[in-house]
Amino acid sequence: MEHAIEIQSLRKEYPGFTLKDVSFALPHGAIMGLIGPNGAGKTTVIKLILNIVRRTAGEVKVFGLDSIGDEEEVKSRTGFVLDETPFYGYLKVKGAASVIARFYKTWDEARFEKLCREFDLPRRKRVNALSRGMKMKLALAVALSHGAELILLDEPTSGLDPVFRRELLERLSGLIQDGRTSVLFSTHITSDLERVADYITCLRDGELVFSATRDEILENWAIVKGPPELLDGEAGTLFRSVSRGPYGFTALTADKDKAERFLAGQGAVIERLRLDDLVFFLGQEGRQREEAARE
Amino acid sequence: MLKILRLEYLFTRKQILIVLPMFSAYFAYMASQIDSPRVFIIATSLMVGLSMPLTILAREDKFKTASLVCSLPVRRSTVVLGKFAATWITIGIGLGYALLFTAVLPFAKVAVSEILSAKTLLISLFLVSLVFAVILPFTLRFGLTGIIILLVACQLLGIVVLLLTHFGGGARNPMRGLLRAIVGGLKTLLYHEPTAGFLLALLAAVVALIALSFLVGLALYGRRDL
Repeated sequence: MEHAIEIQSLRKEYPGFTLKDVSFALPHGAIMGLIGPNGAGKTTVIKLILNIVRRTAGEVKVFGLDSIGDEEEVKSRTGFVLDETPFYGYLKVKGAASVIARFYKTWDEARFEKLCREFDLPRRKRVNALSRGMKMKLALAVALSHGAELILLDEPTSGLDPVFRRELLERLSGLIQDGRTSVLFSTHITSDLERVADYITCLRDGELVFSATRDEILENWAIVKGPPELLDGEAGTLFRSVSRGPYGFTALTADKDKAERFLAGQGAVIERLRLDDLVFFLGQEGRQREEAARE
Repeated sequence: MLKILRLEYLFTRKQILIVLPMFSAYFAYMASQIDSPRVFIIATSLMVGLSMPLTILAREDKFKTASLVCSLPVRRSTVVLGKFAATWITIGIGLGYALLFTAVLPFAKVAVSEILSAKTLLISLFLVSLVFAVILPFTLRFGLTGIIILLVACQLLGIVVLLLTHFGGGARNPMRGLLRAIVGGLKTLLYHEPTAGFLLALLAAVVALIALSFLVGLALYGRRDL
């Protein structure tokens, strides 16, 4: 099956940070959430797909095309919202959009106007005078006005009020209904993903932790709480990101069924996981590893 | 490339209108003070060769829009080519304006007819290319901050060279030798007979400089992370 995005062993080396051979794929007509603690490499992945940072190694295919070799074709079919919303600030909203519009053969001015009205974007205001949320709305309106088949969003919901955030998520869900549009978005607000994402990819310290369907993750991962003696012996191998307290431990497990079988009748409690918890525990695990490496 | 040129046109036309009065005042003053066509052409070329490329090449860094432009459906090489072409167009306009303006100034000490010769224009082009050849790759790679550092470093280097020339002792001072060589080269450029061979060599040097600078700029911008 051809994917909207196929990433193979993608590597990017910066001084002090390396994105380490990340691989995942986003099927057509799906929404994928990119999660992970700060500095995990989420923005780097999006920038690598857009080819605004150069990869050290690996392969990025968008619609089956190479993101560097077929750069123009790939980008003409991709809409994007970057974290910094880099528009020419001294232009008015209408002017800023018209500068960009000329680069897309499929630009739909009527659609842009409609989105501006729906987003309450003041078209005669200078971009510099817009709030962060409004700039984000402008970037979204631009990204959605040229019939893009892939939408890349870097922290699109940050700076947006809860009402518009929900509207945006509904809009994204609506977009993929045609079966050809796909969405990849990074976010810290994991509740947004629980609402709309079909797939979730998690990064930590530049490494891929997992990339799977949301349902698989919520079914397989869980939080385990139990007495400290469970950590010794074979059961201990089921746990990740263990935090010990005076009366027991809390940990993450990636195999809920096995944990349930193994821990039955041993005083452990297995709780349903939320994506928020997952990011927290994986972040904690990363810090624990760093501390262990220092020691 | 036309899309990039159009983008540059949209942004540059306003800037040109803003800068035009200052530019005119500068050339009016220069034309009223300088009577040597050679000095005039050097000063004009350096001014145009420095200001025009900086205006266009550093815009994306100034407004932090490089990542926006490079996310649009356009190749990086096209972005560089577009900026390169736009810069040369504005250099042409800048030089043309400076010469025409000087021609119509009643108090200009230098006659435009003395400047409008194949040799003078080629020398002017050579000097502009020389400045642009340094600025293009440097600005593309290191951005606005980089070019400011380069200009400040050049000034500091000039001060150091002057100090070494004065306090380095005696006629055997290597700095003096270096300065004499530069002045000699410039004199040869300015006073050489405008033979066909000399003009062709100058033209070849201009083309080589432009091509080299463009290729280096292209390679550097291609590797830049935005």
